[in-house]
Amino acid sequence: MSRYQILVFPENCTGCMRCMLSCSRQYFKIFNPAISRICVQLSGIDCAITFTDECNHCGICADGCFFGALSKQVEEKTK
Amino acid sequence: MKTLGGFAGKILYVDLTQKTIKTGALDPDMAKKFVGGLGLTIKLAYDRIKPGTDPLSPDNPVVIGAGPLVGTDIPSSSRVYAVTKFPASGTIGWCGAGGVTFGCMFKNAGYDHLIIEGQSDKPVYLKIIDHKVELCDAGELWGKGILDTCETLKMSDGRQGGVISIGQAGENRVTFSMAYVDGIATLGRGGFGAVLGAKKLKAIFVKGSQGIDVADQERYESLKNELLQTIQGYRYLKEWQSLGMLKSFPAVPVETYEKIKKRRIACVSCPLGCKDVVEIKDGRFKGLVARSSSAINLFTPLAYGFTDYREAVKLIATLDEYGLDMFEFFGVMNFAAALFKNGVIPEKENIPEIAMDSLESMEIWAGKIAGREGIGRILADGFAGMLDTYKKDAEDYAPALVKGMHPYTGPDSALPWDLFGTMELGQIMDFRGPHVGSGGSPTYFAKRPLDVFPRHLKRMGVPDPAIARILPDPGAPEDEQNLKIGSLLKYSHRWFSILGSLGICARAQVNRFYNAELCAALYEAVTGIGTDIDQLRLRADRVWTLYKMANVREGVGRNAESIPERWVRHPGFKNYVSEKPVTREEIEQMITDYYMEQGWDTATGIPKAETLKKLGLEDH
Ligand code: SF4
Ligand code: SF4
Ligand code: SF4
Repeated sequence: MSRYQILVFPENCTGCMRCMLSCSRQYFKIFNPAISRICVQLSGIDCAITFTDECNHCGICADGCFFGALSKQVEEKTK
Repeated sequence: MKTLGGFAGKILYVDLTQKTIKTGALDPDMAKKFVGGLGLTIKLAYDRIKPGTDPLSPDNPVVIGAGPLVGTDIPSSSRVYAVTKFPASGTIGWCGAGGVTFGCMFKNAGYDHLIIEGQSDKPVYLKIIDHKVELCDAGELWGKGILDTCETLKMSDGRQGGVISIGQAGENRVTFSMAYVDGIATLGRGGFGAVLGAKKLKAIFVKGSQGIDVADQERYESLKNELLQTIQGYRYLKEWQSLGMLKSFPAVPVETYEKIKKRRIACVSCPLGCKDVVEIKDGRFKGLVARSSSAINLFTPLAYGFTDYREAVKLIATLDEYGLDMFEFFGVMNFAAALFKNGVIPEKENIPEIAMDSLESMEIWAGKIAGREGIGRILADGFAGMLDTYKKDAEDYAPALVKGMHPYTGPDSALPWDLFGTMELGQIMDFRGPHVGSGGSPTYFAKRPLDVFPRHLKRMGVPDPAIARILPDPGAPEDEQNLKIGSLLKYSHRWFSILGSLGICARAQVNRFYNAELCAALYEAVTGIGTDIDQLRLRADRVWTLYKMANVREGVGRNAESIPERWVRHPGFKNYVSEKPVTREEIEQMITDYYMEQGWDTATGIPKAETLKKLGLEDH
């Protein structure tokens, strides 16, 4: 699986939670923002995008972001 | 154990008088019969609202719900609906909002619906964190504005939750007060805020971690990917994401918007986003941050004579903080100004003098209404309250009214759109009062050539024979060509029921990507309930007819579908095709066509026995 560095652009984030839905579905087979490895906290102007220690840099959350708030860059390749 | 996908599986019951909280299982058969979301919310409300109930009494229940797709990543499946009896119209109505984070969090807490009954003796807010549900003291929140309340609660417990809150206008039972979802999406024109305020329920905070599952993973994935591809390929996607509603309604020049744009906001799962956070960059309001369910709303005062967009934004931010519906506010202020001018209300009460183009005047009046101060206590009861107080003397000065409220679109409304399409007729035919939300069709705003209609109608699930009935007869002479707006509106209502019951946003920029067949497939894949397009259409008709029946019990029949005189007086509305002035007779005929298409009695508006039988509603 490819591993990526996930770059965040919180200024573009709309709070749509698609990233959290994708991540939880991928790793827990259920839509559940509370357990996703990416966490978006959006309170009006301020937005914080953080990752938990379990994040494996798969980049799936970035693939699902429609607003350019996440982007993935190739970090290393593993088999 | 969960039996259905998509659904959370439980209903939460809160009695504010008894201070009791209970949960019950969602009945899968009922879910199937009424689809979910909007449909099931209507059904649960129908079962609980006693005819003749005073909307602001403890007996008026509030039912809130989110459909089976809410919480999944099907694009724009975010909607939250509520059904109750509304104070402005005195009818039973739905109200809905983009669910922002609330809808998803509510489902994740484990619930599809929330039923609130009774009335608290002191201000409370409802805190729902998964199965831990409590009524908390809201003494500190009472008197605060919408956003203030939302911000206090939203981050109060680790990862953010969803909030529905009311402002001072709701607390003081202003009949045009609303509630707001996550401080940004408006919920309940017609006094939903007042209904919650009368219950002394300041807010609902919800957060959950139960997760939402889908029944058929593989099919879900393939349907979703196809949908995402279509959206990604949409040539105006970037423009929509960047401008939102301003793309269709250029209320201000793009440069002005870009200057103050701070952040675009999208509801859960929505790839478009229509909501905005703006920040004023200069002038006396430099640094003012405002949020809105769409930036275009922030500029509405420009249509009433404001010349400085910064002042317009400031006023709307103030109205939003109180929780006042801006359309009704402007209508009421105009009406009050005319009553002062003509001596119906004593001039000495006109302090400060009402000036529709003055921020200072409008802000003070908004405060007087939200706080029911001075003459504000009468204005707070809306048009109905003012007409009740000033009776015949006031009637001549009243604008076009439908069920006691000011329509959105019309000759003297805020949106001076003059072609008479389904949205315009829908303002008369939706029982909740003049609302355009349920009346969408290709007649939406811009005039479209008739040859694009069949494609859109098919998408909405209109069967071929009905399309033939609705569209002009190709053989007819040009000046007799007509679009059957009344018949078409039935299908607008059906399409709205489908989307709302699934939980998909009905906004034009979203529903363009959906069609009825896809909705049936998505519903089946998510819930596991076998559903083809015919079954979905039947269930959606059942939903809308039950909505009608709830109002028939209240005495709302054809008599209530009154056509404002102003609409048919020159310059009034125009025929969608011929652009000739629309006559009263023409609109009456549209109402008849609508009833016929629904299988409701054309004289009384009451659903016929055979229609109820066909829809499986004989016992209602
Ligand atoms: S998908 Fe993108 S825009 Fe949406 S919440 Fe995640 S980071 Fe923000
Ligand atoms: S990179 Fe992968 S594991 Fe990490 S948050 Fe995104 S989807 Fe989850
Ligand atoms: S279009 Fe607007 S209201 Fe609809 S889901 Fe998207 S952000 Fe929410």
